[in-house]
Amino acid sequence: MPRYAMVIDLQRCVGCGACSIACRNENNVQEGVYWSNKITETVGTFPNVRYHYIPTLCNHCGAAPCVRGCPTKAMHKLENGLTMHDPKKCIGCKYCEFNCPYGVIYFNWEKPHKFWRSEEAVIPGATSSPKELVEKVGAQGTPYVNTERTGTSATLRPKGIVEKCTFCDHRLARKQLPYCVEACPANARIFGDISDPKSEVSVLLGKFHPFRLREELGTDPHVFYIRGYNPARYRATKGGV
Amino acid sequence: MSGGKILYPVWLGVLGVALLAGAVAGIYIFVQGHVLFNANDVLIWTLPLAVYIFLALSSSGLTLLSALPLVFGVKKYEPLAKRLVFLAIATLCGGFVAIGLELGTVFNMIYIMLSPNLSSPIWWMGAIYSAELAVLIVKFWKMHTGDFHSGFSRFLGTASFVLALIAPLMIGSVFGLTESRATYFGPVMSIYCLLMAVLSGTALFLLYDMVGGRLSAGAAADAAGRSVQDDFTRILTYTAGIVAAFTVLKTLIESATTIPAFLVYHKFEHLFGAVGNFGTEVIFGLFLPFVLLVIPSVRASARGRMLAAALIFAGSLARHTEILLAGQSHPVGPKAEQFPQYVRYLPSGWELMVLVFALAVMLTLYTLGERYLKLTEAPKA
Repeated sequence: MPRYAMVIDLQRCVGCGACSIACRNENNVQEGVYWSNKITETVGTFPNVRYHYIPTLCNHCGAAPCVRGCPTKAMHKLENGLTMHDPKKCIGCKYCEFNCPYGVIYFNWEKPHKFWRSEEAVIPGATSSPKELVEKVGAQGTPYVNTERTGTSATLRPKGIVEKCTFCDHRLARKQLPYCVEACPANARIFGDISDPKSEVSVLLGKFHPFRLREELGTDPHVFYIRGYNPARYRATKGGV
Repeated sequence: MSGGKILYPVWLGVLGVALLAGAVAGIYIFVQGHVLFNANDVLIWTLPLAVYIFLALSSSGLTLLSALPLVFGVKKYEPLAKRLVFLAIATLCGGFVAIGLELGTVFNMIYIMLSPNLSSPIWWMGAIYSAELAVLIVKFWKMHTGDFHSGFSRFLGTASFVLALIAPLMIGSVFGLTESRATYFGPVMSIYCLLMAVLSGTALFLLYDMVGGRLSAGAAADAAGRSVQDDFTRILTYTAGIVAAFTVLKTLIESATTIPAFLVYHKFEHLFGAVGNFGTEVIFGLFLPFVLLVIPSVRASARGRMLAAALIFAGSLARHTEILLAGQSHPVGPKAEQFPQYVRYLPSGWELMVLVFALAVMLTLYTLGERYLKLTEAPKA
């Protein structure tokens, strides 16, 4: 059985956000919810200032606090290391969201895709309403809904429950890469079986000095970061007093 | 008495309106979802959960007090036993109303039984409080049928005492076992919850005893009643002192530490305002009543006790709310991209209705129980 992990090469990542857009399309993620997101870190003091992106998603932790704390086992681990959520078992207590050290779990505060439920024409007298458009294309929730998401999780997650990244488990089942990995134009996301020493992720983790978010908590995250994006140069110096 | 005859229907009318409004609000919350709350993906738990914590802990405190006659055999308190157990049941029912409305999909709660997760503090909290309610109801029924001292009845008393000791620890562990939120002080939170249970439970009982005694008899309590009130006032004073010392220590640690999570925590905007590092609810809901209770003349007067108990009781809800909010006031990880650095909170009208509904259920049960269930019955000598 594989143990899936992701390596994010921060030297290749330019912060274009294609991963987040791809994720949103693939998993029918509604506005305000981010399965794929980023942390923007600003460093330095003006005028010597720059910012860094750290792309984020569920870390599919080996010792996942969300799984340990879920009272109904709605949040659970698969043998391949994926942290999955069963919407049918979720009681909406939000403890997983409270307990997650990485801020990657979201709650559906109301019925999803509010914009597409609107009955008001976008331009009165000229266009249809979002709701009419959804009905016209015969879709569910949004006109561009991806029904391939169905099967291992709900196509659209209802109000009153949480949701998060699944490493695109539905694609893995078809031997396809997570869609954020597929969509990255810079190949900054590398996905594979960390239990296989010959896999690309294992090779990269042996070649560089990886770090993980909030490692000190002992949650054993399975999203690793290598290198850093920084084209800046500086004159060799020993500083001064 | 004539005043009481007028007040009673008015009181029932107020409760009826509050119950009806609460029920309508509850249905609307289920239909519309928690978008009606001023909660979000940073402030995940707000006033409704604080109300649950407050009432559940108060219920545990009342159960612990009931153990004095029922487990430890303090004869002097036997006339209070039935009332204490009933108040614990009613208060816990109010708490369950609040947690029911806090859950996103309450109808899925069946999975708590069908798919238990024994590593989850929330599961243990739910299981222990459910067991506590069941044991208290059976215990009450046994006492109501005159059985105070049979082996089974004693077992129920001991079981409810043990459950009431563990349940607050479980509420504390929900927060304390969250590795990523250091500001909840880890396992110490469980000890705090246990202390708060005794504090708010004792304050609630004293308030009830004094208000109920005045309304029903219209006269001061008899010598035995005064002696009991004296004893419970001492328990309240001791516990308030311990909680005050605990709170001072906690605040000093929060102020002195350089752990990053606490540096962010300092920026929390207190819901009720603050003087220095102490919230207004700590000053007026804990320190002031403690000082009042320490003064012998105030402690001996009915009005002084009532004021102190009322301040402590209301202050307990305010402190639970503040502690709950303060630990969630800043976004975690990438949520800082969507939310401000520090999130402010004021409860929405719907959240206040959860408070009203929970208190209305609790007070209605008190009222009906006092009228129909002979709560002052004691075992025959």
